[in-house]
Amino acid sequence: MKGMIQMNSIYVLDNKKNSKYHYSITEDTIIYHFSIDSSSEVNIDLDKEDVTLYYYYNNINYKDNDYKIKVNHNKGNTHSEVFNHGVNINTNKLTYYVDGVVPKSSSKCICNQENQIINMDDGKSTICPNLLIDNYDVDSNHSAYIGKFRDDYIFYMMSRGISRETANRLLLNGFLINSDSIDTNRISDFIKEIEKI
Amino acid sequence: MLELKKVNAKVKSNNLEILKDFSLKIKDGEIHVIMGPNGTGKSTLSKVIMGHYQYEVTSGDIIYNKKSIKDLEVDERAKLGLFLCMQDPTVIAGVSNSEFLRTAKGELTGEKVNLYSFIKDMESAMDDVKLDNSMLHRSLNEGFSGGEKKKNEVLQLKVLKPSFIILDELDSGLDVDSLKVACLNINAYLQDNPKTSVLIITHYPRILEYIKPDYVHILSNGHIVKTGDVNLAFEVEKNGYEGYDSNE
Repeated sequence: MKGMIQMNSIYVLDNKKNSKYHYSITEDTIIYHFSIDSSSEVNIDLDKEDVTLYYYYNNINYKDNDYKIKVNHNKGNTHSEVFNHGVNINTNKLTYYVDGVVPKSSSKCICNQENQIINMDDGKSTICPNLLIDNYDVDSNHSAYIGKFRDDYIFYMMSRGISRETANRLLLNGFLINSDSIDTNRISDFIKEIEKI
Repeated sequence: MLELKKVNAKVKSNNLEILKDFSLKIKDGEIHVIMGPNGTGKSTLSKVIMGHYQYEVTSGDIIYNKKSIKDLEVDERAKLGLFLCMQDPTVIAGVSNSEFLRTAKGELTGEKVNLYSFIKDMESAMDDVKLDNSMLHRSLNEGFSGGEKKKNEVLQLKVLKPSFIILDELDSGLDVDSLKVACLNINAYLQDNPKTSVLIITHYPRILEYIKPDYVHILSNGHIVKTGDVNLAFEVEKNGYEGYDSNE
């Protein structure tokens, strides 16, 4: 794994607006995409051999919204790690479409994605993870989870004297600010939104 | 003092009764051991005392320092001084060890915990249990070895200062040296806090070479069938649990 600290960093915040993004990645890049009640469509082309992309999408959701991300491994030996974390507050509908594409012409790629949506109420959440791999030498994984914070997490915290409410808050913070490399000074609006949950 | 009075407890999901008329009294400063074959309810006992969500106490009572804790929330029990050192500590990604423990310390004491003095105290405690200081800033138990997780439990115990400690199979997953470090730290804590009581749940008497118990109980079919001193544990190791069965 390449050192994140040396990577080109991009911060994006969608606050109650629908947006489309396209990135052509030609150097190692880490993108932190924060979203408050927004639909987003993201297309990423890995256009240079050997480049690595980390994509952190963290989303607080109140209404019906979609998030679509597609990572195209256009060159060989490219590496993508996509982490999508959402908190669905109400009984609304939140849908993630997450595509990783490796064509036959790109060999020895790594294409991974991890998706989680926490339903705070009885929201209808859907995750559609797609790994469209047309090569035999690709290392590719995906995971998807929709549900509440696990009961054993809450129990463990409460067994140390932490109230249920505080335990949920700690878990929310850890879930939505899910990388040590995030500069929290740059996401103050998003942190304020977490505090409102 | 902790007292379990004829406690019956079942698994909520399937109504399976695990503890059956279980009674036990542990006075301040006493060390008790529960041994028994697999599936007799040893770990259930620890979780029932702590108020685990998977179990329901159907009758009987659990009294701690003259107060019924049977219907209390888990954090309320912890605030009264109960601490469960877990058999398989939970891994929680995204929540750092330091954030977790500082929050717990603040909630237990009701006071704001100064970050600088907390970090200094933690580093010293981590040295005691031979955990690398970098683990303070890592996610809770994430990527920790089995031994490191158990040492982290002992670290929490030292920081949170409970008055009643439940050690649920502390010795599982610990090598000889790590077990010794863990037990020496617990003994030092007990020496500093002589009124603290301990309930040790174990399969093997190995841990009792370091932590000397006052009583050893054999659990079978959800209740205690024999009580003795430490020699009972060594007798069980030699002869097994045959003869301690209870069909009731």
